[in-house]
Amino acid sequence: MNSCTDCLSRNTCLSADKPMENYIRQLPRETAHHRVEGQSTKCGFGLQGVCCRLCANGPCRVTPTAPRGICGANADTIVARNFLRAVAAGSGCYIHIVENTARQLKNTGLHKDKIRSEKALNRLAEIFGVTGSDKYDLCVKVADKVLSDLYRPEYEPMELVEKLAYAPRVKRWKELGILPGGAKGEVFNNIVKTSTNLSSDPVEMMVSCLRLGISTGLYGLQLTNLLNDVVLGDPEIRPAPVGMNVIDPDYINILITGHQHSLFTYIQDRLLDEDVVAKAQAAGAKGFKLVGCTCVGQDLQLRGAHYTEIFDGHAGNNYISEAVLSCGAIDAVLSEFNCTLPGIEPICDELKIKQICLDVVAKKANAEYIPFQYETRQADGDRIIDEIIAAYKARRGTVPMNLFTDHGNKNTLTGVSEGSLKAFLGGSWKPLIDLIVAGKIKGLAGVVGCSSVAYGHDTLTAELTRELIAKDILVLTAGCSSGGLENIGLMTPEAAELAGPNLKAVCKELGIPPVLNFGPCLAIGRLEIVATEIAGELGVDLPQLPLVLSAAQWLEEQALADGAFALALGLPLHLGVPPFMTGSKVVTKVLTEDMVELTGGQVIIDPDGKSAANTLEAMIEKKRKALNI
Amino acid sequence: MKRIFIEPAKCDGCKNCTLACMESHREDGGRGLYTLDLTDPANQSRNRILSDGKGGYLPIFCRHCDDPDCAGTCMSGALVKNQTTGLVDYDAEKCAACYMCVMACRYGVPAVSPDRKRMIKCDFCQHLEEGPACVRACPKKAIEVREV
Repeated sequence: MNSCTDCLSRNTCLSADKPMENYIRQLPRETAHHRVEGQSTKCGFGLQGVCCRLCANGPCRVTPTAPRGICGANADTIVARNFLRAVAAGSGCYIHIVENTARQLKNTGLHKDKIRSEKALNRLAEIFGVTGSDKYDLCVKVADKVLSDLYRPEYEPMELVEKLAYAPRVKRWKELGILPGGAKGEVFNNIVKTSTNLSSDPVEMMVSCLRLGISTGLYGLQLTNLLNDVVLGDPEIRPAPVGMNVIDPDYINILITGHQHSLFTYIQDRLLDEDVVAKAQAAGAKGFKLVGCTCVGQDLQLRGAHYTEIFDGHAGNNYISEAVLSCGAIDAVLSEFNCTLPGIEPICDELKIKQICLDVVAKKANAEYIPFQYETRQADGDRIIDEIIAAYKARRGTVPMNLFTDHGNKNTLTGVSEGSLKAFLGGSWKPLIDLIVAGKIKGLAGVVGCSSVAYGHDTLTAELTRELIAKDILVLTAGCSSGGLENIGLMTPEAAELAGPNLKAVCKELGIPPVLNFGPCLAIGRLEIVATEIAGELGVDLPQLPLVLSAAQWLEEQALADGAFALALGLPLHLGVPPFMTGSKVVTKVLTEDMVELTGGQVIIDPDGKSAANTLEAMIEKKRKALNI
Repeated sequence: MKRIFIEPAKCDGCKNCTLACMESHREDGGRGLYTLDLTDPANQSRNRILSDGKGGYLPIFCRHCDDPDCAGTCMSGALVKNQTTGLVDYDAEKCAACYMCVMACRYGVPAVSPDRKRMIKCDFCQHLEEGPACVRACPKKAIEVREV
C-alpha cells in the first residue's frame, strides 16, 4: 500500500501556492507532491533523450564508451526519433480533441440543439467561406470543413491552413515545405518515421515537428476554441472566485477534468432541470455544482458568464486535483481527457468518490466507462446523474471533511479571449498597440502550458511571471499555468502593485491585473490569434513583434506539440527543463540556434526565473529596437 | 581484500545498480530483468541513489568499513567484520531485529526488511563468482571494485 499514513513522507515538494503547500503536507494520504521525493533520482540517459528502446536489442544508452546503439543509431538519431514521436503523440491528443469538438458541433446542427453563439458560428463560416440554409445547416457545413481536413491523407494539404494562418507565415511555411497534410495522417506518418530502423535523419525529423506543430496549433488549438464558442458561448470578462474556496459542501459536487468541454454540454444543462434538482434535494443536497479542475474547468471559467448557476468556479490545476478531492465535499469525478492523474484513483476509492469516464482514451482504471454518444446522451446523462446521487448518499456523513475555505480568492479576472479583450479595448487593438509603442507596456509574454511538480509546483512559472510584470511586460496565460497563477492572486486587480511602474499605471487605469487569464491550454490558440491580429494591424510578421512565449513548466507531449507551433510561428519559446534533447548536439542546435534562420523561432532553456526573464526582456528590447519603438 | 569505491561525480542516477542488486538478491526463482517485479517490496535493493539536491547524485553503497558502526553496535553478533575477506557479514539467524545497525551506520546503508524480521545490507554478492552485480551494471563506472 503506497498511502500508508504512518510512513507517509512529509517532504512534499515546494509550491508557489504556500497555503496549498501546507494543506497538502498535512494531508493523511499521498499525492503527487509527496511522490516527488521518491522519484527524485532521475535516469541520466532518459533526461538527455539518449535511451532507445525501439527494438529488442535495446534499451541502448549512449555513453562515452558506447556512442552508438547496437543498430548504429547515434545520439542525434535517438534523440530526434524520441522527440518527434513525442510531438506526434502530443499532436494526436489535440487532434482527437478537435475531432470530437467538430463532431459535437455537427451533431448540434443535425439535432437542432442549442447554439449559444451565432456570432462565433458566422465568424467561422466567414473564415471558411461556407454558407448554409439556416444556422443548423451552417453548423454541419462548418464542422464538415474541419473534419474533412483532419481526415485527409498526409500527402494532401489541408484546405483551411491558408484561411486560418497569417499570410506572411504561410509564405514562409511554403518556402520551407512544411504545410501540413491531413492532421491525422501527419500523426500517423510521423509515428511510422520514428519506428525501428526507419528515419535516421535528425534534421528532417525536426522539420517534421514543425509540420505537426502547424496542424496542432491551427486545428487542435485555434479551431477547438472557435468551434466550442458556438456551442458553449463566447468568453466574457468578469471577476470570479478561484481556488478551493469555490467548493460548497451543501451541493452534490462534480469535479470535471479533461480538455473536451463540449462533451459536458448536455449534462451541465441537464443538472439544472427541475426534476434533476428535485432528485438532488430528495437526497439532502441543495442541487448540483460543477467544480473546475484542469483545462476543462479553466474553459468553463472562461465562459463562466453563461454558467453562473451550475459552475462554482475553478479550483486549480492538474497538480492540485488530489488535494481538491481530499476536501471530502467532491462526490464524483467526471473525466474525458487528460490531465486526469492516476493518483486520484486511490483517493477516490478511499473517499468513495464515483469516477465516471466519458471517453475511452482517458479511461481510468477505477472509473465506470459511459462513453459520450450524442444519440443516447439523454439516457446516459440520467444514468450518470443517478450514479452520482447514489455516491453522494453513500459517502456523505461517512467520509471526513477537510475543507479549505480560505484558499484562493474571490476576484480573479476571467474570461479574457481575443474577442472579449478586443471588445474591452473598444473594438480595436490600437489602444494596446499605442501602449506598447509608448513603452507603457514593454512587450507581451505568453506564460502558457502546464503545471509540473518535479522541481516545484508552479514555482518557476510564478517566479518568471513576477519578474516579467516587474519589467513592465504584460503577461497573458493559457493552460495550467493560469490555474496556478490565479490561485496565488496574480490575476486580481490588486496584483497591479507587483508590476513595474508603467504597467502598474496602465493596470490601475484600466482596472485590470498585470496577468491576463485566457483560460485553458487550448487558448494558446487564442493568444496566437491576438498576436496575428496585432501583427496584421502593424503590417509586420509575427517574429518581429515584441512578444515572447514561455512554457516554463511544460509537462507533457501535448506541450511539445504546442511548442512546435510556437516555433513554426517564429516566436521565442522559453522552457524550464529541456525536452529530453540535450544528448544530441544537432537537435539542440536546431532548436536553440538554427530555428531562428528557419522560422524566426528559438528555444531558450533556463530553469531560473530571474535570468529567464532577463533573457526574454532582452529579446523584447531587441525587437522593439528593430521596429524603431 | 576488495572494496567498492564510489565516484559520485560520474553517477548519472540511472539506477542500473539498484536494479542489478534487486536482480542479484531476488528470491522468486526467476532470472533476468524482464521478469524482475519492480513493484514487489521483497525485491528490496541494498544500494540506493539519492539526489544531492544540486543536480548530482549520491550513490549509497556499503563500504564494509574497517571499523564498522553496524557491527560495533550489534548486540546479538549477527553482524561481524570478517578479518579474512574484509567484509561485514550478516547472519540472519542471530539477528534480533533491534535495528541498532540501522540507527548507527553513518552512511545510512542498513535497512529494515519488508517483513520487519531482519535487516538488509550489501553482502558483496558473494554468491556470484563475478563479484558485485551493481558494479558490473554501472554504465558510467561510478562504482568500482578495488583491491585494498
